[in-house]
Amino acid sequence: MSEATPVKLPALVPLPVAAAFAGGVVLLAAAPWLLDLSPYSHNLVTLAFMLIAGSVAWNWMGGFLGQVSFGHAAMFGVGGFVSARVLLSGPVPAPLAWLTGGLLAGIFALGAHPALRLRGPYFSIATIGMGEAVRLIFTYWEDFTGGSSGLSLPIDVDMKRQLYWWGLGLAALVVAATWVMRRSTFGLQLLAIKADVDAAGDVGVSATFYQDLVFVLSGAVVGVSGGLYASYFSFIEPNDMFGFDRSIAFVLMTVIGGVGTILGPVLGAVVFVLLRQYLLASYPQLYLGLYGGLLIFIILFEPLGLTGLLRRLGGQVRRRLVPARAAGEPP
Amino acid sequence: MTAPLLSVRALCKSYGGLRALDAVDLHLATGEILGVIGPNGAGKTTLFSIIAGSMAPSSGQVLLDGSAVGGVPAHRLVRAGIVRTHQIVRPFANLTVVENVTVAALHGKNRAHGPARVRAAQVLEFVGLADRAEQLPGLLTLAGRKRLELARALATVPRVLLLDEVIAGVNPTEAVALAALVRRIRDQLKTSIIMIEHVMPAVMSLSDRVLVLDHGKKIAEGTPAEVVADPGVIEAYLGTASGAAAP
Repeated sequence: MSEATPVKLPALVPLPVAAAFAGGVVLLAAAPWLLDLSPYSHNLVTLAFMLIAGSVAWNWMGGFLGQVSFGHAAMFGVGGFVSARVLLSGPVPAPLAWLTGGLLAGIFALGAHPALRLRGPYFSIATIGMGEAVRLIFTYWEDFTGGSSGLSLPIDVDMKRQLYWWGLGLAALVVAATWVMRRSTFGLQLLAIKADVDAAGDVGVSATFYQDLVFVLSGAVVGVSGGLYASYFSFIEPNDMFGFDRSIAFVLMTVIGGVGTILGPVLGAVVFVLLRQYLLASYPQLYLGLYGGLLIFIILFEPLGLTGLLRRLGGQVRRRLVPARAAGEPP
Repeated sequence: MTAPLLSVRALCKSYGGLRALDAVDLHLATGEILGVIGPNGAGKTTLFSIIAGSMAPSSGQVLLDGSAVGGVPAHRLVRAGIVRTHQIVRPFANLTVVENVTVAALHGKNRAHGPARVRAAQVLEFVGLADRAEQLPGLLTLAGRKRLELARALATVPRVLLLDEVIAGVNPTEAVALAALVRRIRDQLKTSIIMIEHVMPAVMSLSDRVLVLDHGKKIAEGTPAEVVADPGVIEAYLGTASGAAAP
């Protein structure tokens, strides 16, 4: 074993991927100038950025750690309300308010620590309960959240315009972090915990520490995106921010896109935003039911969601290309 | 006699009214292989779970190098040098073989010595899985997965290796190869080993000493030859010769 065998370590971030990613981000950043986006599209894209950041962060827990949370709205709400309160308290730079919201949301996520004794569906059910408890507490805590009438922030058109780039920045940062995480030994340990938490402990992985750490990181990102959301819409209300719908949305986006993949939550969030806009406009009574149907369909036929579908299509294209090259050979 | 590397004193574990372990003592010297045998339900795996930190003892002590480690969680014992394998292999099914071992190589004594993946590849070489490094564990045979289980434990560079039936369940050829691998672990890596095993030829030929558990109690301890001749051991395995002509 002392004999050093040459081993090629895979690059953490291959150059073509990094280049494609940077190019995509630059194009998106230039889009408001190039395309003259209508307020409606601007709105939709900005919302998509916030949800991308949130669902990618949800995926750290649900996809990499294997702990499916149905309570992420709690951190979204804490981030949103804390940032709103900080912004209302005086002349504070908005990014500082968002960061404060994210930080507190991250710490708040540690409240789920006792649920770490549970895994799988048991953990998920516990998060439903905790999420609903948090929603009720914040709805009745009128001094802080304004109760059912919510909180209004002064409308700032310039800030609204800028939030497109803040949202893009957050989403890009979080996606890049996920890429590095997935390929680092940190991500490897998360996947080991997902596969078998006891066996991971038996080879030295401190499962509790890593799970707590991911709770904090995931909660903080979701909190920051809640802060951006509050600033963008200038009005937040506990039943919306902490609503079960919102927790479900994080699950849906990731499942639609592909749980445990890097690109999945991004695709899922985009599809979710577009679909929601269309369904809300056309079938306001049916739209939740349609989501439910979609969820069942995906879990039954393509557990890796859109990412799985793309991989399958990619595989088929490759298979079709290979025989074409070998066509000259005798059968 | 020099101080033992690992010793267990008066270890008890109760589940409600059931005594899974009843005042068990054992000691393991550096470089020794200790076999643990006993009928099903004798408490062998419970003993391992306590030594490896997967569960806390009801009472009694586990000492590594003279310091108490009973009740210390498993992931911290790995750092101290105690690691176990599982009777039913538990590979991380979503990770490749080399990634499985890399996770382990991040921990334990050698964690600062070069990239974990490089050390993982060396361990795979040692256990004979180098050509399977990039496969998923589901594609390995049972013997292959047992080797992976061993590789994962070895990647943490343990001082005390607890092997829970690594040989049982594979075909005879593979059993011989796995037994040889266990011997190489002791001879080349100088790892001290406690092994639970049902495959008698393997235990008897590998072990320096054998300890016999029955109903949570230690009923015999000694060299393999002494243990197989022990009337108490024969009784535990075969029952009493009621009606037969006993001398």
